Amino acid sequence: MSKPIRFVLPLVFFLGLTFFLFQGLFSDPRERDAQTLEKPMPAFSLPDLMDPSTLHTESVFLGEVTLLNVWGVWCVTCKVELPYLTSLSKQGKRIVGLYYDQDLDPDFGTKTLQRVQQEVMETTESLGNPFAFNIFDVYRDTSLDLGVTGAPETLLIDQNGIIRVHHIGDVNPRVWEKKFAKLYDELVANTPKGVKG
Amino acid sequence: MSTSNVLLTIVSLFLAGTLFINDAYASRDEYQFSTEQQRHDFKTLTATLRCPMCQNQNIADSDAMIAHDMRRKVYQLITEGQTSEQVIDFMKTRYGDFVYYQPPVTKTTIWLWLLPVFVLMVGAYIVFTRKPSSPIEQDESAALAKAEALLEEDK
Repeated sequence: MSKPIRFVLPLVFFLGLTFFLFQGLFSDPRERDAQTLEKPMPAFSLPDLMDPSTLHTESVFLGEVTLLNVWGVWCVTCKVELPYLTSLSKQGKRIVGLYYDQDLDPDFGTKTLQRVQQEVMETTESLGNPFAFNIFDVYRDTSLDLGVTGAPETLLIDQNGIIRVHHIGDVNPRVWEKKFAKLYDELVANTPKGVKG
Repeated sequence: MSTSNVLLTIVSLFLAGTLFINDAYASRDEYQFSTEQQRHDFKTLTATLRCPMCQNQNIADSDAMIAHDMRRKVYQLITEGQTSEQVIDFMKTRYGDFVYYQPPVTKTTIWLWLLPVFVLMVGAYIVFTRKPSSPIEQDESAALAKAEALLEEDK
C-alpha cells in the first residue's frame, strides 16, 4: 500500500466518525417521526371529562383549526405549559384537551371520576384553563391510535380534521414559533369564517 | 459430617422453594389466554416490541404507562384472533419502525448490514497486501556489535 493512503485512510475514517458522533451530541433521543401526520384524526367516541353524558367524536375537529393537548394533572410538565397554553387560548386559539389519568387504570381503577374531575378543576383554577373542553380518554385507546407516547404532547389539527403537527413535550414560546406558528396562521387564514363544526 | 448434611438439606429446600416461587409467579400472570399459542405469541410480541417512550426497553420489561397500554392492546388484538404480523403492523402504523426491534431493510438501514462486510473486506485487504517486514536479524547483530564495542571502550 502506498504511503499517502496509509495516512489518509485512517484520517478520513477518524473524521467521519467524529462528524457522526458530533452530530449525535445534538440529537434528541426522544424525537420520532410521527406516523399520524397528514392523516385524519382516528375515529373515536369518548365522554367529556366534566360531563360524561356528552360524547365527543372525531367530528368535533371539523370546521375549525384546533390544538389538541394530551395531558393529565399527574404530569408536571403539563402543569408548566398550562399558563402558556392559556395565553394562546386567550388569543382566540381553540385548544381541546385529551385527558388521561395515570392512576386510573381501566382494569384496576383506583380513582373515582369525581376525584379526577376535582383535581382537574383545582389545577385549571390555579394555573389557567386553556381548554374549550376535555375529552376523557378512558382506556387511552385514542392516545394509542394517535401514537402518543406520554404527556404532554400537542397536535395541530386543521379544519378538515387532518393532523398537521405532532409535538412531543411541552409547548412554550420557542416551540410555538418553531413548529406551530407559521402553519397555524396559514391554516387559520384559509379557514372560511363562520363555518364551525 | 452432620453439619454438611444439614447444610445440604437447607440448600435443597431453598432451591425447591425458589422453584415454587417461580411457579407461583407464572400462574399470577397479568393476562389469561385460552390457547398456548396465544400465550406464546403474546410473550414473543411483548419481548420484540419496543417501548416508544423509554430508551431501549421492550414493552414486556418496561413499567411506563405506554408499555402497559401497549401490552393491553397486544393482548386485546391477540385474543381477537389477529396474527403476530397484524399486531406488529398495528403498532408500526402508530409508532413507526422504531417500535419493532427488527429493523426493515431500507435505503438508510442497509448500512447496518453492508458496513460490517465492508470493514471486514478492508481489514482483509490490509492484512493480505501487507509486505512482510524485513528481517531484523541484521539490525540486531549490528546493534549488538555496537554495544560490544561500547563495552570494550569502557573497559
